Amino acid sequence: MITASGVSKRFGAKQAIRDLSLSVGRGEVVGLLGPNGSGKTTMVRLFNGLLRPDAGGVRVDGRDPLVDGDAVRAASGVLTESAEFYGHLSALDNLRFFADLYGVSDPTRPRSLLEEVGLGDDLHRRVATFSTGMRKRLGFAKALLHDPRVLFLDEPTNGLDPDGTRAVLATIRRLNRTRGTTILICSHLLQQLETVCHRYLFIDAGRLIEQGTLAELKARYREAVLLEVDTDLEPAAAEAHGRAFEVAQVDGRRKLTFRLDDRAEVPGFLRRLVASADVYGAHVVEQGLEELYFAIREEKVA
Amino acid sequence: MSRQRAVWAIVRKDVRAIGANLQVLLPMLVVPVMLGVLLPGGLVWAILRFGGSSGELQELLQLLERVPAGSLSGALSRLDDPSAQAAFLVANYLLAPFFLLIPLMAASTISADSFAGEKERGTLESLLFSPVSVGDLFLAKVLASFLPATALAWGTFLLTALTINGVAWPWMGRVFFPTPNWLPLMLLVIPLLALATIFLNVFVSARVATFQAAYQLGGVVVLPVLVLVAGNVTGLLFFSTAVISAIGAGLVMVDLVMLLLLRRYLDRAQLFESQVG
Repeated sequence: MITASGVSKRFGAKQAIRDLSLSVGRGEVVGLLGPNGSGKTTMVRLFNGLLRPDAGGVRVDGRDPLVDGDAVRAASGVLTESAEFYGHLSALDNLRFFADLYGVSDPTRPRSLLEEVGLGDDLHRRVATFSTGMRKRLGFAKALLHDPRVLFLDEPTNGLDPDGTRAVLATIRRLNRTRGTTILICSHLLQQLETVCHRYLFIDAGRLIEQGTLAELKARYREAVLLEVDTDLEPAAAEAHGRAFEVAQVDGRRKLTFRLDDRAEVPGFLRRLVASADVYGAHVVEQGLEELYFAIREEKVA
Repeated sequence: MSRQRAVWAIVRKDVRAIGANLQVLLPMLVVPVMLGVLLPGGLVWAILRFGGSSGELQELLQLLERVPAGSLSGALSRLDDPSAQAAFLVANYLLAPFFLLIPLMAASTISADSFAGEKERGTLESLLFSPVSVGDLFLAKVLASFLPATALAWGTFLLTALTINGVAWPWMGRVFFPTPNWLPLMLLVIPLLALATIFLNVFVSARVATFQAAYQLGGVVVLPVLVLVAGNVTGLLFFSTAVISAIGAGLVMVDLVMLLLLRRYLDRAQLFESQVG
């Protein structure tokens, strides 16, 4: 559904994208992860024909956005941080305006979408008075306005309150499940992505450095097992167990997190620990996307 | 249908923006009232009321000697009273170039807001992400400046006609404004001048970051018009039908050349990279 083949793009002295190839299958939800300035927004602009690659090419739904751009843009919903709204117009008038540009036939669509994203009480308020979170909700509604087959969402939950974040993530899941919408999400909020993405693409300095599902990445970047123990054991005494550890106070209780080489080591280690101190609880800390992100960057980025 | 809908949506949005920005709205209200009502109404009234005894009138009447032979001199010769002759000359000829300032100011202000303002507010990127071709976008933006600027000029012209004839009625007792030379000015020169001003502002807006900068830089278009004003007032260049038609023909050429030069902005990627990216 979305492909990039050997794409390079330079802005003056800065090489923004370097020989980058990626693909997102129809109906997939894929996270595009990387630090600020790594080229995520540039890729969204390239996929929508706002930028011309210096080398390589991109396709969306089989179409080249530089040749058949209006068809690509008609099929795509885009949310980026830099694309603004008209401050002197109300939220409803802004969406009505974009509904005209996108040829939306249902006249009730702008209003119902605004209500869906939680702006039902602010339909007639000028956008100039909106908070960051409200603008983000409006941007999300605009991206969904024409019921697109592909969604490009650049930081869709940045600046949202917990309720807004939950609503956006739920909508992403629902659209993908019920309509088969293909979604590319750029975000720094890695924990949130875990709940919606099927696969992840990691980029750094315009280069694709890793990709895969969470399970594939976990298998590839399996780190030491982290065992978190709720115990009275003094840190000085913990050193005697011969494993690296970190100490943290959680709700007034001491938590020691030991780094073990292997999962098979856990029962024996716990038996020795229980023999030397009171233990109130213990669990293996699961490796999440955030830990993987840093592990991948540590290994792949020089 | 969908293309038309998008184009008119952008036109409506931009026209609506005129009322939302005082910097745009104020000159649109003040300049027409000054140049279209107060200046002509005041001048004509003063000439007819105090004309007979004023020295300025004698200076003005010296211009009559330079009036080229033709319909103007014929019309003037039919008026016996020197004050009526002076009022006729001022209303129908000397005011004409001032009128050019109205579409010029309006087109310049609206297009600066429409083109540079879109960039300044960060909304150009939103437009470029939409499935509207850059050609349609350009057309919509030009219409959004052209239609109000031309309508304002025509509306002001109507007000001027009412004001001048109303003020002069007690002395003239008939409608004497406008004369036929206004027809090519209003129907040909005014729209072409508005278009040239808009095209110039597209170039200016592409090179500056803000509405304010585009507005100030775009203001240089008044200079050639001021030359025309001076030429007309000193009697060097009477705004006869022939002169007006020549100005119109010159503007057609200017508009066509600028339109050709503007083609390079019709590439979306190039437009985005030069204006946003």
